[in-house]
Amino acid sequence: MTILMIMLAVIGGATLSVQAALNGRLGSNVGVFRSAFLTFSVGALVTALLIFFFEPRHAVTLLDVPKWQLLGALCGVPYIVIMVLAVQRIGTAVATVAVIFGQLTMSVLIDNFGWLGNEAIALSNSRMAAIACLAIALFFIHSSSKVKTVA
Amino acid sequence: MQILLILLVVAGGMGLSVEAGLLGPLGSEVGELWATFSIFGVGAALTFLLMLFFSPRNSPSFFAQPPLLLLGGVLGPVYVVILTLAAPAIGIAMTMIGILAGQVFKSLIIDHYGLFGTARRKIDVKRIIALLFIVAALVFMAKG
Repeated sequence: MTILMIMLAVIGGATLSVQAALNGRLGSNVGVFRSAFLTFSVGALVTALLIFFFEPRHAVTLLDVPKWQLLGALCGVPYIVIMVLAVQRIGTAVATVAVIFGQLTMSVLIDNFGWLGNEAIALSNSRMAAIACLAIALFFIHSSSKVKTVA
Repeated sequence: MQILLILLVVAGGMGLSVEAGLLGPLGSEVGELWATFSIFGVGAALTFLLMLFFSPRNSPSFFAQPPLLLLGGVLGPVYVVILTLAAPAIGIAMTMIGILAGQVFKSLIIDHYGLFGTARRKIDVKRIIALLFIVAALVFMAKG
């Protein structure tokens, strides 16, 4: 089960980087906000179609959950704006490492304390070792993207 | 100024993890597709406003673009549904590292074959080393 989910996450990452490559080109043609709007609106349409035909009935709907659970997009959209502002001033290499650093720190915190209704996963020794490996990986990503942009 | 921008980008990255952290529990309550819809629905509304007020006035139409470039919106939901499924099962950190592994792996391939109109470059040894360390990190994470 764990392996399957890790594979899924890896596929998700690959999808994300294809999307980033496409959106990067679209963004340079029509502007970043336009390309972001297209991504979100087409995404909403596709998801709505899937819901119509495939989603089973649920006892709880989006209107029943506490409102803070609906704030996900308010965390994702600022990321797009921040990257637009920052990348040209601090460079892709630094921006890439800073994003991943932020992602990791926050995800380890959420796991450790079980924030936002997630199951708590304590920060063990092997998790620390994983973080050390990532720090090394970040160093290599940084030195490779100094010469070119990471998709 | 530089430091401020870097901190801002770090905060942006933290936002991505918070997004994943919100999605997992939401998905198990209302269903993965509804949770995904909440992201894209709210996101479409926000980016519409951004586009309306801050986009350059005379940018070319979407219909003047090659259709391939417009597929980002089809790929987006795949990623978000996967986040919603994986995060509650394996934790946010492992999900994020898995995503990172996929990104680095794919960007190696995109650059190597020059897919999607990017400049073609040879496989980069540094990114292969990075990928190996990311896989090692996944193994450590999976051990608990």
